[in-house]
Amino acid sequence: MTTVVEAVDLKKTYMLGKVPVEALRGINIKVEKGDFLAILGPSGSGKSTLLNMVGALDKPTAGKILLEGINVSTLSDNQLADLRRSIGFVFQFFNLIPRFSARENVELAMAITDMGKSERRKQAEQLLESVGLKDRMNHKPSELSGGEQQRVAIARALANNPKFLIMDEPTGNIDSKTATEIVELTRRLNDEQGVTIILVTHDARLAAKAKRTVEMLDGAIVQEIAN
Amino acid sequence: MKASDIFSYAFSAIRLRKLRAGLTTLGVVIGIAAIVALLSLGQGFQDAITAQFQKGFATNTLIVSPRGFQGESSYQLFVNDTQTIEGIENVTSAVPIIQKTVYAKLGERTFLVNVAGVNFSKYSSVFSSTFVAASGNIPPNPENGSIVVGARIHDPWQNGTTLANVGDSAELNLTKVGSDFKRYNATWPGQVVAVLDEVGGFSLGGPSDLGVYIPIQYAESFFGSSEVSSIIVQLRNSEDATIQSTSDAIRSAFGGQVSVTSSTAILGTIETIFSFIELFLAGIAGISLLVAGIGIMNIMIVSLMERTREIGILKALGMKGRTVLLIFLGEAIIIGLLGAAIGIGLGLGLAEVVARVGFAAMGGQAGGAGIRPGAAVNQAGSLTISPVLTPSVLVGAFAFGLMVSIVFALYPAWRASKLKPVDALRYE
Repeated sequence: MTTVVEAVDLKKTYMLGKVPVEALRGINIKVEKGDFLAILGPSGSGKSTLLNMVGALDKPTAGKILLEGINVSTLSDNQLADLRRSIGFVFQFFNLIPRFSARENVELAMAITDMGKSERRKQAEQLLESVGLKDRMNHKPSELSGGEQQRVAIARALANNPKFLIMDEPTGNIDSKTATEIVELTRRLNDEQGVTIILVTHDARLAAKAKRTVEMLDGAIVQEIAN
Repeated sequence: MKASDIFSYAFSAIRLRKLRAGLTTLGVVIGIAAIVALLSLGQGFQDAITAQFQKGFATNTLIVSPRGFQGESSYQLFVNDTQTIEGIENVTSAVPIIQKTVYAKLGERTFLVNVAGVNFSKYSSVFSSTFVAASGNIPPNPENGSIVVGARIHDPWQNGTTLANVGDSAELNLTKVGSDFKRYNATWPGQVVAVLDEVGGFSLGGPSDLGVYIPIQYAESFFGSSEVSSIIVQLRNSEDATIQSTSDAIRSAFGGQVSVTSSTAILGTIETIFSFIELFLAGIAGISLLVAGIGIMNIMIVSLMERTREIGILKALGMKGRTVLLIFLGEAIIIGLLGAAIGIGLGLGLAEVVARVGFAAMGGQAGGAGIRPGAAVNQAGSLTISPVLTPSVLVGAFAFGLMVSIVFALYPAWRASKLKPVDALRYE
């Protein structure tokens, strides 16, 4: 099994005004290919900070974060951008571009990686079909429900065949019925397509759907459960 | 990201805020329009004046006059000084002009006019294109009493009410101070033998639309003086070397007491002055473009703040900083291009309107002033100006508009490109 993500004694300290805040106090985790890891914890436990490191959006203060063996700390901004193209992000607030239709939002991710127009269009349509939005792909985010928007976001995250998927409270902003659909979709991606998934949530029921769960509190991992 | 994708992304961002983008573009439009209108009008004005000058005098002429301003100089030139000048190398002919301001009775009306005494045949050979009769004939050996009048003397109001038609009698009246220091009136009865073709706005030493011309030998006795106001010198050619050497020769022949003016040199000076004025006007217009540039910067910074989260998303999707920079610059380029294109069109239209309405009004006013004593340079008639857009102005305006847009967008674009993805995503 190949290790996709590895954190070694990962530390992150923020300066809140003049007061240093230790968001991460030495995290050690390993995520293998095909894994489905849930990071569970209350707000302020440092789980989002950890996710930012794993997603190459931020660099650690100390320790190492290795993405497929590459130390993120050593990379330049441009190299980080390149690296992020192989990571799929799904955010709590969907983060779609409001002026673009569902299809255009998915296409945008592929346009960034220089994919040709006709190819990305075809692929965007396939992806949206796979998340059950075949009939809604020309709608703008404002015309879609929360669940639909999140499915567009998942389609977008999968656009560039990512090495792994990062989901930050993906159901935090949608009703429970739709949330269940999103979770089922996530499960299916992991089960059927073998997509590696790292999910952050404060919802224990959602975390229970993952293959294993780590529980965080005050910037440290307090418990690890294999479901 | 491909250039076409960057461009269409920038375009989609502009379309989102149509009014705002429109107003920002308007700033560029106004700046460019002002520059183009002023420069093309200035160029048109310069072309018109230059054409007038080239028509109004021959380039192979020099004007010799006593040094200093008229009246201030103690040195006097006389008709027989012409012989000295004619003896100088490269001079083909020298034409003395004696001038006085007199009252002219034309029909029922009396005007103050500038009368010049000239040798008709020599004068017409030097100014062969302007000392030309529109009606009547300019006699080579005129009789006493022959008068040639300019086009605006003949038709002062430009409405068809003509005075001084060929064959009409006219009377010139002059108050002279005699040797007994008493004032007495001299009257010179004459008859109009020819009306000149319209010369146009300006003439230098040459015939003027407001001029009245009488044979020099009779002018001498009428004025009671042989003092000339100027001597027009015709040269063998209009080469700079000839103009220079002959000017020097004439000056030294009169012991440095005369000034020699080359029409070509005056033309050069006028052109220099015009380009300076043009540059000055363009500078003022440039300031308005600068203000437009600040507008672009302002709007880009607002846009940057509004779209911080969007930039965060783009970066999370793997967009590089320089692509973000190019998207922001692309928006400025679209605004700049659009503004410059519309501005050039609007500027030309504006120049056309100003040329037609503004200068026509000014021309009418000048015409209404009617007959006035003419100086060496008479401004009369309506100057027809058509704006001229030279390719260099066209390209320059376009480039300047684009450059201002880009330069002022650089800072916001750079800031956008440097945004940290984590911070940008967290931005509300």
